[in-house]
Amino acid sequence: MLVLTGLRKTFHAGTPNEVRALDGVSLRLADGEFATVIGTNGSGKSTLLNAVAGTFLCDEGRIELDGAQMGRWPEHKRAALVGRVFQNPLGGTAPQMSIAENMALAARRGLSRGLAPALTKALRAEIAERVASLRMNLESRLDTPIGTLSGGQRQALTLLMATWLKPRLLLLDEHTAALDPKSADQIVRITAEIVARDRLTTLMVTHSMQQAAQLGTRILMMHRGRLAHDLSGDERARTRSDDLLARFDALRRRDQMDEGVAAMLRKQHV
Amino acid sequence: MTLLVGALTIGLALALLALGVYLAFRVLDFPDITPDGSITLGAAVSAQLVVSGWNPALATCAGFLAGCVAGAVTGLLHTRLAINGLLSGILVMTALYSVNLHVMGRSNIPLLGARTVPDQLAELCAPLVGRSELNVFGWSVPAHDAAVLLGFLGLAVATALVLLWFLRTRRGTALRACGGNAGMMRALGVDVDRQIVLGLALANGLAATAGALLAQYQGFADVQMGIGMVVWGLASVIIGEALVGGASLGSLLAGALMGSVLFRLMVAIALRFGLDPNDLKIVTATFVLLALVAPRWMRSWKAARGARGAG
Ligand SMILES: Nc1ncnc2c1ncn2[C@@H]1O[C@H](COP(=O)(O)OP(=O)(O)O)[C@@H](O)[C@H]1O
Ligand SMILES: [Mg+2]
Repeated sequence: MLVLTGLRKTFHAGTPNEVRALDGVSLRLADGEFATVIGTNGSGKSTLLNAVAGTFLCDEGRIELDGAQMGRWPEHKRAALVGRVFQNPLGGTAPQMSIAENMALAARRGLSRGLAPALTKALRAEIAERVASLRMNLESRLDTPIGTLSGGQRQALTLLMATWLKPRLLLLDEHTAALDPKSADQIVRITAEIVARDRLTTLMVTHSMQQAAQLGTRILMMHRGRLAHDLSGDERARTRSDDLLARFDALRRRDQMDEGVAAMLRKQHV
Repeated sequence: MTLLVGALTIGLALALLALGVYLAFRVLDFPDITPDGSITLGAAVSAQLVVSGWNPALATCAGFLAGCVAGAVTGLLHTRLAINGLLSGILVMTALYSVNLHVMGRSNIPLLGARTVPDQLAELCAPLVGRSELNVFGWSVPAHDAAVLLGFLGLAVATALVLLWFLRTRRGTALRACGGNAGMMRALGVDVDRQIVLGLALANGLAATAGALLAQYQGFADVQMGIGMVVWGLASVIIGEALVGGASLGSLLAGALMGSVLFRLMVAIALRFGLDPNDLKIVTATFVLLALVAPRWMRSWKAARGARGAG
């Protein structure tokens, strides 16, 4: 179970560029829960995932995963518990190394890396089997440098890498956003398969209302560094992408109204 | 002929430097110029120990370790104190100049008469080449020189093989991936900073070993002997890549080795035909510069020609 308590993060604090990217986020994600995260650009979705993954340390708040208080751990230590896929298909793989070598690196996520050969016959066979499960015909090209593959292929392999050792938490940050629609659909299918098969506790940021409505057991909507809506259970089940769009509009109207009031106050007092 | 054998032998000693430069620049993608200092450090440490009666093989190992320490310091400056990579190398290289003078106690240590690694290798390889002069394509080569050459060849090949083995282990593949995509490796649970320190330590250990071998072969260690050697190693790596065409890890390591020998040979021939030794560094630098920009020129030239052909 993931428990976030009062997470705050301000970038460039004390300068004119100050951004309150996380403004008190608290969240409980039960084991096996699959939450999609939506929100306007800059609402703090990536920052939330990065905070949990340990890309930076938060200013305030606690991060607990399966009982471990990991809020102060460095990123590489948290990686033993957390699997990640980035938005950029180039971000999750080492381009000059082969498919097999990349997979072998992932097979030791969070484990010690001694002087044993990275690739053994047994591991290669397992890699071929798991890569075949993607149904992308990549199992015959295990020695191809991964940099020569398409974005969709790389993203599928990155998903496989992030989940090779079952993570306590899977973080997906708009991992289909950089892909063409067909590849994106393929990655969505693979994501759903893997998460369901391993019953992974998952946070998936997406820009697509369809994906948010279609995938997962819970929807989190972020706005200005806070969780504005948290839909689960029956409410989640009834939610369509149109409902999500309506909620977006409501948030936007409230912002405009706030700005309108602020402008009025300025006029009256200056 | 003696000139040729000498050039080949020195090229093989410096192949270790080329492997180190390959590791830093290509595998780690870290522009490390510490080797300019660590080559001399390896030479100074091993020369001092050889003179004071150590077994030369052990003295060379000590040189390797000293180089590892120098590389680790560069890595720590970069990762712990967030100092730019190039600057970290410059700082350590500069500091090493004083360290080397202290180790040596003066600016030059002659090794004439001392038993050295080349002597040990020559004894080891003597049964292979016989006792008298060798006849190679009509030239006669003293058996001792041929044995040393053979010994250095064995040493360089063995080092390349060990490096190849290491880069294919779990730790070695992690090291390679850190150079290609550090963010990914953090997400896979690897402390990237530690990998950089480890990689730079190894790279400079190799460079220092090259310095130790070079000093013992030429019969002296000199505080100036490292100047410009990173560029030299880079030239070897570039020639190697051109030779093998950027294929597998194994062929790239072999390429660095061959590149070092070939480059030394080219230099020896150029010197033989009247190149002023004072111009050696500018020629080397120009060569590396050309090798770096030529591919870009070729591309734009081809593109321009293609556009004209189409229009
Ligand atoms: N590393 C950073 N340094 C400075 N500002 C950042 C950084 N990461 C995010 N921000 C800022 O924090 C806010 C939230 O960004 P982000 O979490 O990326 O939004 P999104 O919801 O679109 O993923 C934005 O204003 C962004 O500019
Ligand atoms: Mg984002």
